[in-house]
Amino acid sequence: MLSLARVEVAIQGARILRGVELVVPEGGRVALVGRNGAGKTTTLRAIMGLVPLSGGTIRFDGRDLARVSPHRRTALGIGYAPEDRRLFPSFTVEENVRLPAEVLGLPRGEVRARLERVWELLPELLELRDRRAGALSGGQGKMAALARALVTGTRLLLLDEPFQGLAPALARRYGEILARLVARERAMALLVSESNPELLRPFVDRVATIERGEITNETTAPASTG
Amino acid sequence: MGLLLLLATLDGLAYAAQLFMVAVGLTLVFGVLKILNVAHGSLFAIGAYLASTLVGLAGAPELSLLALALAAMATGAVMGPLIERGLLARIYEKEHVLQLLVTFALFMILEDVQKLVWGVQPLFEDAPVRLLGQVEVGGIFYTAYQLLLLPGVAAVALVALTWFLRRTLLGRTIVAVTHDREAATAIGIDVRRVHLVTFTIGAGLAALGGALAAPTTSLVPGIGVQMIVLSFAVVATAGLGQIEGAAVTALLIGLARSLAVYFAPELEVVIPYLLMVAVLLVRPAGLFGRTVLQRV
Repeated sequence: MLSLARVEVAIQGARILRGVELVVPEGGRVALVGRNGAGKTTTLRAIMGLVPLSGGTIRFDGRDLARVSPHRRTALGIGYAPEDRRLFPSFTVEENVRLPAEVLGLPRGEVRARLERVWELLPELLELRDRRAGALSGGQGKMAALARALVTGTRLLLLDEPFQGLAPALARRYGEILARLVARERAMALLVSESNPELLRPFVDRVATIERGEITNETTAPASTG
Repeated sequence: MGLLLLLATLDGLAYAAQLFMVAVGLTLVFGVLKILNVAHGSLFAIGAYLASTLVGLAGAPELSLLALALAAMATGAVMGPLIERGLLARIYEKEHVLQLLVTFALFMILEDVQKLVWGVQPLFEDAPVRLLGQVEVGGIFYTAYQLLLLPGVAAVALVALTWFLRRTLLGRTIVAVTHDREAATAIGIDVRRVHLVTFTIGAGLAALGGALAAPTTSLVPGIGVQMIVLSFAVVATAGLGQIEGAAVTALLIGLARSLAVYFAPELEVVIPYLLMVAVLLVRPAGLFGRTVLQRV
């Protein structure tokens, strides 16, 4: 479904990704682990087209993403939740979550169905739907960012360090949500980056280690908790 | 004294209305494109000159208001996409200093284009002002055009723009890009299109300010300079990217300048900038701006 071949990214002359090779099959759950600065975030941003490639190719369903404008990638069924949430602070939670579906030009019924899918998975957000995103706590913001990514991420979900900065109770709750998500939507692929691989073990089937912009190791993780 | 105060207030209101329309376009463009567009003053001037030409061509006074609207729309629709696609789209990723220099160069070029097209002799077409006649306010006869039409159009522009940005999908995508260009792209917003639409709206607002100003003043080379400098003062005093704030600040600066004209003429030129400096000393982000903490 998603394949990265010899992907190179250079930012201001510095090589951040050095020939990254990675495959995420349909329904696959892959953890991308590595230290800070190893290239996890850049890998996800490259898939979304937010940084230009200086080499290599990224394919999604066999299609070269270089030919798909960054803003059109959500239309392929890809959702992305950045590490630092990046919600629009003057919009309410619901406006943040609804906007990607509206931008896609989906029929009203489909927009409603996608929002219901999200509220069902994240019921705690229902109470916060009218609150401005700028007034959310860090943990609530992470949930809202996940919800926003889920609206377009029907086929592939990219989560960048979802547990970063979460208090232990919230991290547990976030883990439960992810576990429920992967159990319920078996065809959906997941690529999630994290510096602490232990947090991801319950819901990934493969762990790829990235060091200094290269995938150095890939292992099969224990079966998902399904 | 009372009559002078009333006159100063009416003048201030009319001037604030023009100032708001130019400043709100400038602040909208800055909020979304993150470019301080010096050539915004040229769009004001071209809107004014074109309006004057069209009013002259229209002949019948009844058509003069239509001519003003047409001039604003034509300037925005032609100059907006031309400048945004042809020039600004190439410099979004460049440094702010370079962006400022490029728009300043464009401003200088457009100043000369105005001289080439309209010459250097003053141009004056007041048919729209004569068409609407005068109204009496507290013993003063004042033109209905300046007393009612200018503030009315400014108020409609403010309400319409606020409604558009809050209630329409295109408006919300513009606000989203204002907040975070990259996050907007990541959720599927075509930022290129948002830039184009926003700049065209901003250009249209500047041209509308110019078109509405045309019947109230003689058009001479350099009219865009004073307006752009004052608009910068409004935008900086309000806080960059603040639309409702620009309305309040335009009113404040318009009234202050007008009061200075009547009661302290020697301060007329400096009063807007004194106000700006005073505000920025106390609130560096402007009256309505918010300081943003940035992780370094």
